Amino acid sequence: MAPHRLLAPLVVLCLALVACAGPAGTSSPSAPGAGTPTASPSTASSPASLFPLTLTDDAGREVLLEASPERIVSLAPSNTEIVCALDACDRLVGVTDFDDYPPQVLEIDKVVVAAAVDVERVVAAEPDLVLAAGNELTPSTVIAQLDDLGLTVLVLYPETLDEVYADIELLGRAVGNPDAAADLVAGMEQRVHAVVEAVEGADRPLTLYEVFHGEGTTYTAGEGSFLASLLDLAGAEPLTGDAQGLLTPEALVAADPELILLGTASYDPSLADPGTALETVAARTGWSELRAVRDERVVPYVEDIVTTRPGPRIVDGLEALARAIHPDRFDAAP
Amino acid sequence: MSATPVARQLVLGPSLGRATLVLSAGVGLLAVVSLAAVAFGTTGVGPGEAATILVHRVLGIGSVSWPASSETILWELRLPRVAAGIIVGAGLACAGTVFQALLRNPLADPYIIGTAAGASFGAVSALLLPAVLPIAVGAWLGLGMIQLLAFAGALTTVAVVFAVARGRSGTPVIALLLAGYAISSLLAAGVALLMFLSGDRLMAVVTWLLGSLAGASWPRLAIAAPLIVVSFTLLLLRWRTLNALLLGEQAAAHLGVELEREKRILAGLAALATSAGVAISGTIGFVGLVVPHLLRLAFGPDHRLLLPATMVYGAALLVLADLGARMAGGIPVGVVTALIGAPFFLWLLRRSLVAHAR
Repeated sequence: MAPHRLLAPLVVLCLALVACAGPAGTSSPSAPGAGTPTASPSTASSPASLFPLTLTDDAGREVLLEASPERIVSLAPSNTEIVCALDACDRLVGVTDFDDYPPQVLEIDKVVVAAAVDVERVVAAEPDLVLAAGNELTPSTVIAQLDDLGLTVLVLYPETLDEVYADIELLGRAVGNPDAAADLVAGMEQRVHAVVEAVEGADRPLTLYEVFHGEGTTYTAGEGSFLASLLDLAGAEPLTGDAQGLLTPEALVAADPELILLGTASYDPSLADPGTALETVAARTGWSELRAVRDERVVPYVEDIVTTRPGPRIVDGLEALARAIHPDRFDAAP
Repeated sequence: MSATPVARQLVLGPSLGRATLVLSAGVGLLAVVSLAAVAFGTTGVGPGEAATILVHRVLGIGSVSWPASSETILWELRLPRVAAGIIVGAGLACAGTVFQALLRNPLADPYIIGTAAGASFGAVSALLLPAVLPIAVGAWLGLGMIQLLAFAGALTTVAVVFAVARGRSGTPVIALLLAGYAISSLLAAGVALLMFLSGDRLMAVVTWLLGSLAGASWPRLAIAAPLIVVSFTLLLLRWRTLNALLLGEQAAAHLGVELEREKRILAGLAALATSAGVAISGTIGFVGLVVPHLLRLAFGPDHRLLLPATMVYGAALLVLADLGARMAGGIPVGVVTALIGAPFFLWLLRRSLVAHAR
């Protein structure tokens, strides 16, 4: 499948960027999602009373919303998912061609094609709010260009579970529906708590989460990354690479993981079958003697998208991780 | 001076009729592709609406019957982009012509003595600066800094290459090429290292290195355009020198060309045009290499005609390529310039080879 092969490196790059956040403090100056409403509502009732509203986004920019946005463009699937989870899906007038959830967003016009923001289409959608992604997922030059064109741009880039909650609450205020955001976050927190309880006391296997593999280069969860923190919550000891998740072959062999989750199986169907996946992995130079390979604890993991997309479904990802790491602690099927 | 036909033509220039024909055909082509590039895009703002908006905006005729977004798309996005395509395409093709004549090397392009490597190093440094600078400064610098450092990087590199290649008896072309190659390699290694260290900003670096006209805006053009126009004008005034150089350095010296001085001036001006272009668009390949060859094969080597012709046709090629790139979903414009230009160039090359064999 040629298009798939062409897209794969791009997808991997995007995912690596999402999954492997840099060390704390390099990307965002202020606590992300720490929104500060200037006109705080005395009686949180009608949406109109919530505006005008000044929010501080994850890039530390102050963004003024005069009124509740009715035409929203999302430049990242995670932003789209948050908007839809807040019952504002019908206000989306532009999304990316990576967007696949909820299914109704497939019908919305695409303003990001093959990871490139088509500024002309963004302008044509006449948005009153543009939701960009931080950390260069939306290039900073594009954000500046949209600013210059007079559009209202909110940059979201959560790097921890708490920051996902904060961003949901931020968007809840932005779309004038803070109550829905609070409910959503409460539900997520509850499910996270349930996962943590379920895996409590279990052995914590040293786990390699394979983000990318090619030509002797392995990318795993970055040190201090979002993905590493999820693995930790799911009851594993994450085997991390450098800040970007790069793990040298020597470091891999020296660390000798007990469990390998092939996140790559989400994009490479040939890895999705447990039997052939084990063979493929064992055939890699130096991998056959790893504990995980000898013990046949190589698990094709096909839930990479929800695990690395920092939206409401990140909890689905956490649950899937916990099931893959501790199948004995959960019922057979979700 | 011997009176071979080529030498006579080089001194006397092309016939007026031929020059008029070549240039007006080029201007016509450029006008057509530019209008197409303004009239078509990835949204529904089509030729009719585009024309109405332009007439209203320029002449003040007609009443507003379109959404404000259409006007923004036309005036702030498409027009500056087309203008940038014209300016950068013209600058690159012109610089390529000059470098090919100056270095008497068919593989010379605007980037050959280090402009591309210098600009890339500058731009990538600028892209990574916000990570180390205080954020408040970084956000403000973000945009202007990339262009500034790309420009400075390109010009500085050329100056260094010239300084290194200068010997006791002048600056040999071979020394320029080798010094340019070595310094470019050094800078390319620097870029690769910065990319390795760039971590989560890698995407921004890759995007810049691929080259794109997407970031074009009026303020940026206001800086780049005068630089390119001025260097082009000064280069055109030196057409005699360029023609003389075609006969070889020695012959040029016999014809009264002050070799060392002229070399520095020509390379300096060509590097200036290249740097200004690269600063606003990144390193777009192919235009500067192939357009000069193409036109030389088609119209002959006389720079009095060749220089303006490369400008016009280079501009047309880049505008057309960028339109294609936009319509194809934002693929890198350098890919499209090669896709359009290479087959045409090969066809022309085959044709000239067969013609000579006969």
